[in-house]
Amino acid sequence: MPVDAYHRAGGLQPWLTQIYQRMVTMRRFEEAIASGSASGQIHGEMHLGIGQESVAAVLAEHLRPADAVVSTHRAHLHALAQGVDPVELLAEVFERDGLNHGKGGHLHLFDPARQFMCTGIVGAGAPIATGYALAQRLRGEDAITVAVSGDGAMNQGAVFEAMNLATVRGLPVLFLVEDNGYSISVPRARSTAGDLIDRARPFGMAAGLCDGRDVEQTDALLGSLLATVRSQRAPAMAVVAVYRFRGHYEGDLDRYRPAGEREQAMSAADDPLQRVRARLLATGIGEAELLKLADVATDNVARWLAAALQRPAPDISSAREGVFAGA
Amino acid sequence: MTTDTRTGSHLVASVLRQELARDPSVILFGEDVARLGGVFGATRQLRREFGDERVFDTPVSETAFVGMAVGAAQAGLRPIVELMFVDFAGVCFDQLANQLAKNHYMAGGRVRLPVVVRAAAGSIGSAAQHSQVLGATFAHFPGLKVIFPGSHGDLQRLLVTAIRDDNPVIFLEHKQLLKARVDGLPLNDARPAGAAVEPEPFGRLRQVRRGSDLTIVTAGWMVQESLTAADALGLRGISAAVADIRTLVPLDRDGLAEVAGQARHLLVVDEDYTSYGMAAEVVCSIAERLGPSGPRMARVGLDVPLPASRPLEDEVLPGSRMITDAAIALVGG
Repeated sequence: MPVDAYHRAGGLQPWLTQIYQRMVTMRRFEEAIASGSASGQIHGEMHLGIGQESVAAVLAEHLRPADAVVSTHRAHLHALAQGVDPVELLAEVFERDGLNHGKGGHLHLFDPARQFMCTGIVGAGAPIATGYALAQRLRGEDAITVAVSGDGAMNQGAVFEAMNLATVRGLPVLFLVEDNGYSISVPRARSTAGDLIDRARPFGMAAGLCDGRDVEQTDALLGSLLATVRSQRAPAMAVVAVYRFRGHYEGDLDRYRPAGEREQAMSAADDPLQRVRARLLATGIGEAELLKLADVATDNVARWLAAALQRPAPDISSAREGVFAGA
Repeated sequence: MTTDTRTGSHLVASVLRQELARDPSVILFGEDVARLGGVFGATRQLRREFGDERVFDTPVSETAFVGMAVGAAQAGLRPIVELMFVDFAGVCFDQLANQLAKNHYMAGGRVRLPVVVRAAAGSIGSAAQHSQVLGATFAHFPGLKVIFPGSHGDLQRLLVTAIRDDNPVIFLEHKQLLKARVDGLPLNDARPAGAAVEPEPFGRLRQVRRGSDLTIVTAGWMVQESLTAADALGLRGISAAVADIRTLVPLDRDGLAEVAGQARHLLVVDEDYTSYGMAAEVVCSIAERLGPSGPRMARVGLDVPLPASRPLEDEVLPGSRMITDAAIALVGG
């Protein structure tokens, strides 16, 4: 795919550097949460995006403050991409008085100032995304809404319905499919008829697919489709192939994948993070500088986590409050 | 008696018009609401007046458009979404029970969901999948207000309240109330045509008839049927009070305890399924408050899917005759 010249206005190296730093930050972020799960500080089921960072890192380039993002059970990176405060986010995930005062936790993150939410019900986000887009349409904004799904969610009727509704009503939704090839333990070949990209065809929706290991390809696809949604005020679909490095959830024994598949995906050749690193080195950036960037990312995450853990525990008197709003 | 040929559906449409005119963030959508004006006529003329951007028809896809109401509300709009029949709630149950009901709480209060889900409820001769009430099912989920008016006036006033409430409201419009003429009901309390409709607070039951032998507690169309039964009981020397719950959530538990103290017998009439339902909640609430000194209580209702043919439906569906018989059995026994 041709590189988006408009987007490379600053040059490839600065762009790649920004993407790399973002991806390292995202990986460290998820690793910090993995530790929290392992230690019991987080006591519920945890779903991390380690290995899938390229999508969110690239998405961040194209999102604007008035855009909306509705994500899934694997939402942390999309939240970061949309600008949700990392300390608030970590505090909520670590069950402190955080983003949602300890009421929602990892699966139900809401940041209305950033029009961000996620849900643990697979497929339920797509209909909700059409609602954000409806508001954008009615207000005559050029804002758009991103509805994140996995490949598994594409079989949920809710997603089909949302795609139809968005097409019929002219709603600015990008249906963004992170295709990691698995619905927990079930590989796509066993659950999904046909190719995911063909599911946009019945709706006449602009659509494209790319390899998420290649951030430039991913950027060209997402940039182009988001621009289309923004200008046409009509939905589009992007399918980005990624790989989930860890099990579906933390603690998943993850024995259902073919021998060697995961190791290959995590290798220097296929890990999207290591590939960006290699691309950067190829542009002439020095090893030392790359290490420094990675250190900054690691330090940032450590600092955020420390701040998050300083947050008080949620006020227990609030547990039975807040079912209804207002007087 | 003055003639007023308006039906409940006209009254609903006039309230929707009032609120759409009052607040530009109010929008309305659902199946057949715009072009047709609703299968019961409850949204007639609204698209013509407010345009296709604010009043529109959706595809047959409850999950998508109820979910759209969730998102639109979180983004600052005030959607009124129609379920053509409340029975269709099963189609979009996740969006109602997991999203609409819970997102405000889970967000730590940071989002509000001012959504009204209007749904036609109750019997109309169309059998088990088109005749349900399901109020108790929704009431069971913390986070949903459940409104079930029993009169034309309350249909109007409580709808205004629902639209202005910042919370999700399931608003059950009984089909018999929608169909009935204003001048054709035992209880006629509709606002005059053209008059503004003011909101009525949720959480207050309404005593619609006084009595000293028996209190009938009920909601929805059964309010009208209970008034007819109370007249028949009066002729037999049984003085029956009738109390209209009106709002399942918030439930007026204080009001229930108060009306329960009026007489030594109390009958709860519920068109929704009897077991694990509204009637059980009422009986339980009164028993908890009043204990052994409270009234002797019984429930009138049904625990079968509603059958189709008239004689079978008449046999199981509560109505003034069944209520009268149950009252006599309770008081006389």
